Amino acid sequence: MVPIQIDNLFFTYPSREKSTLHGINAEISPSDFVLLTGPTGCGKTTLLRTINGLIPHASSGTLTGAVRVNDEDVASQPLAATCQQVALLFQNPDDQLFCTLVQDEIAFGLENLCFPPEEIKERITLALEQVGLTGFEGRRISELSGGEKQRVALASICAMKPQVLLLDEPTSHLDPRATHDILNIVKQLNTEIGITVVLATHRVKEVAPLCNRVWLMHEGQLYLDLPRAEAFQDTSVFRSLGVEVPETENPPSPIKRKPSTNTTPHHPLLNVKDISFCYSNSDKNAVQTISCEVSRGEIIAIMGANGSGKTTLLHLMGGLLRPSSGEVKIDGKTSKRRKLHQLAGKVGIVFQNPDLLLQAETVKSEVEFGPKNLKLKSEILQTLVTDTLAQFKLTDFAAEAPYSLSRGQRQRVAVAATFSLHPDIFLLDEPTTGQDAHHLQHLMDELCNQIWQENKTLIFATHNIELTQKYADRVLLMREGELIFDGTPNAAFSDKELLKNASLAF
Amino acid sequence: MIGKEDMTSRNTGLESRTKILIMMICGCLVILLDSPIALLVCFLASLVLIAVSKPTLRQIRLLLLFLFFTTWGLIYSQGMFYNAFPRTVLITLVPAEFPFIGEWTGGIKIYREGLFHGIIQSLRFNTTLVIGCYIVWSTQPRDLLLALGQLRVPGALAFMVTTALHFIPVIAGETAAVIRSQRLRGFRYGQFNLFATVRGVINSFRPILAGNIRHATNLGESVESRGFSPDIARQRTSLHTSQMGKWDYCLLALLSLSLICVIGLKVLYFCYVNGIYYESWLRGAYTFTREML
Repeated sequence: MVPIQIDNLFFTYPSREKSTLHGINAEISPSDFVLLTGPTGCGKTTLLRTINGLIPHASSGTLTGAVRVNDEDVASQPLAATCQQVALLFQNPDDQLFCTLVQDEIAFGLENLCFPPEEIKERITLALEQVGLTGFEGRRISELSGGEKQRVALASICAMKPQVLLLDEPTSHLDPRATHDILNIVKQLNTEIGITVVLATHRVKEVAPLCNRVWLMHEGQLYLDLPRAEAFQDTSVFRSLGVEVPETENPPSPIKRKPSTNTTPHHPLLNVKDISFCYSNSDKNAVQTISCEVSRGEIIAIMGANGSGKTTLLHLMGGLLRPSSGEVKIDGKTSKRRKLHQLAGKVGIVFQNPDLLLQAETVKSEVEFGPKNLKLKSEILQTLVTDTLAQFKLTDFAAEAPYSLSRGQRQRVAVAATFSLHPDIFLLDEPTTGQDAHHLQHLMDELCNQIWQENKTLIFATHNIELTQKYADRVLLMREGELIFDGTPNAAFSDKELLKNASLAF
Repeated sequence: MIGKEDMTSRNTGLESRTKILIMMICGCLVILLDSPIALLVCFLASLVLIAVSKPTLRQIRLLLLFLFFTTWGLIYSQGMFYNAFPRTVLITLVPAEFPFIGEWTGGIKIYREGLFHGIIQSLRFNTTLVIGCYIVWSTQPRDLLLALGQLRVPGALAFMVTTALHFIPVIAGETAAVIRSQRLRGFRYGQFNLFATVRGVINSFRPILAGNIRHATNLGESVESRGFSPDIARQRTSLHTSQMGKWDYCLLALLSLSLICVIGLKVLYFCYVNGIYYESWLRGAYTFTREML
C-alpha cells in the first residue's frame, strides 16, 4: 500500500506571478477515498498533476516542497515508475483515448511498461471486468457512448494496477446514469481492491456519500481537510466559496420571474415539424421525427442521456444544421433557405465548449464582433457594447484577452458576445460542464434575467435536473433521437419511469 | 478473451512499415519519372492499393474531391503560368493590349505545354496523395506509432505525426463550429470587403489553434501518465506481434527493384545525353528511357 505525503507544496506556472498551489500539507492513508472540491480555478487539477508526477516531469514551472509516494519523491523518480503506482483519469475521455480499439487502448500503458503480451491479455480481461465492459475488447472506441468511453479510460489505467487512483472531474461530461455507473465502479475499486482514491469534482452531492475524507481547496490552499462525517456539519464554508453541499433538502424551487417590459402576446417563434437528421458518417438518425412549437418568452430545457440527440436538436432549431426531412420555421420563415448570417440577431448559440466562440483579441472586441457585423451606427454600437459588458459584469475585463480569463469567466464572455445581438432565440449547450455551482448560478441568473426582461426565448441542453427545475418552465426529454416527453419540469420529474427511460434516473 | 474474431475488426492488409516504405519508394519514383504513361501506371497502381483497403463511400467521396481539386488546380495554374519554351498558345484570356492588366502582365494565356506539364505534376501529386490517404484510412494510430519507431524515426516526431492524424476529425469538427458561430454572429465569408474576410479567417485560427493545443496537451499528458515517452518508443512490447508477411516482402522487393532500375536507366540516359558514356548495345535502354520513363 502507498501512503502519500504532501509537504509544503508550492507550484507556480511559468506565465504567472501568483502560485497556483500555495503551501499544501496533507497525507493520504491507504484505502482512503478523498473528495477534492473547491471553486473553479482553485488548483484541484494542478494538485492532482503534482501527485501523479506530471508536474514537474511533463510541465514547466516552479515547484517547491515535495510529494512522496511510498517515501519516494515523485519529482525525482521517473514518470514511468510513478504511473505504476499513481494513475490519473482525465476529464474528457475523447482527449485521453489514443487508439481505435478498446483492447489496444488498455494495452497501450502495459506495452509502454514492457509487459509480455500474455500478461497484457490477462490484464485487459481483468480491467474490462472491473469496469463492467466484459466482451468489449474488439469494439471500436468511436462507436461507444460517453460513459462507456470513460469506463474504457478507467480500464486503461486500472490495467496498470495502480495503488492510487486520481480522478479529475471524471463525470463532468456524463449523464446521470453514466455518472452513477462510473462512481460505483470507483467505489468498488476502493472497497474491494483497496485502491486509494482522490476524486476532484464540483458534483459534491453525488460523491460525498462515497468518500471518507473531504478536501476543500481555495486559492491554491487546502482550506479544509476533514473526515466526511465532520466536513459537512457546518456547510457555511462550502456555501461561502460557492461549492455545492450534499444536503437532502427539497428540490430547488423555480426562481421568480421578473415582469417582462414587453407586452407582445405569446405566439410560436419556433416551429419544428417532423424533423429528422442523420450525420453523413452514420446510418442511424441522430434525431427522429420531432415536432414542437416554442413561444416567445419560454425557457426550455432539452434533457436526455449522452448521445440522445440533444445537441443535434439544438443545432437544428438554430439553423446550424439542416434537417434531412421535416422543417424548422423561425419566426414563420423556413430555416432551410436562409443563410446562417441572415439568422444573426434571430438566433444565438453558445456551444458546450465556449472557447470555440472566443476569437477576438479583447473581451470588448469579442462582444462588439456581432453588432459590428450588423453595421450598426457607432453610437448605437458603443451603447450596446457598454450595456452588454455591464449586464454580464464584464466591464472590468473589457481590455483583457478572453483566453487569459478563468473557465467561468470565458463562458460568461461567450454568453455576452452572443447576447450582444439580442437574439430572439438563445441556445445554450450544456452550461454546467466544468463550472462550479457559484459560477453556474450567477451565469444563469444573469442570462435568465435578460431573457425575461426582453421577452426572449432560451433553450438549453443539460443533464442537470436541478438546473432545469430552477430555471426552465418546459422540458423536452429525449431518448435515442426521439422526443419522449414535452411538458412541465414538475410533470417530468415526478414520473420515475420516464426519468429512467431518459437515463436521468437509475 | 482476445480471440481470432476480435482480430478481424483490425485492418489485416499490409503491415504498417510496408505502407510507409511504399509511400517513400513511390515518392521517389514519381519524382524520377517524367513520362505521363509511367506516371499514370503509378497512379493507377495507387488506386488499386486503396481499393484493396475497402474504403467507405464517404472516404471515396472525399478522395474524389481531393483528386478533383488538386488536378484542376495544378493543370489550370501550370497552363497559365508555364514559362518554358517552346510553348503554344491555346486560349488568350486577357490580350496583351488590354488596359492595365494586359499591359502589366503581357497578356494572360493558356499554353498547351503548360497543360501537359500540369497533367504530369498532378499525376505525381495525386499518386502520393492516394497512398497517403490509404495509410491514414487503413492504419490505427498505435500501429503507425509502432511502425515509425521500428523505422528509426525519432520518437517525438513519430508521436507528433500520429497525434496530428488522430486529431484530424476533431479539428475538422471544431473548425466547422467556429465558422458557424462567426456566421451566426453576422459575419459573411466571401463578402466584397477582402480585408474583413481575411481578418475573419485569421480570427478563426485563434479558437482552432487554442483547441488543438489543449487537445494535444491533454493527450500528451494522458499517454505520458501511462508510461509513454519518446525514448522508449522502440523498446515497448506489443500486444499484437506485427510481422511483415510474404506479400509485404514481395511488394517491397518489386518496388525497390523498380526504383533501382529507374535510377540506373536514368543515370545511363543522362550520361548518354551529356556525352559522358555511350555503348551501342544500350540503345534499346536509351530509347525505353526516353519514351517510357
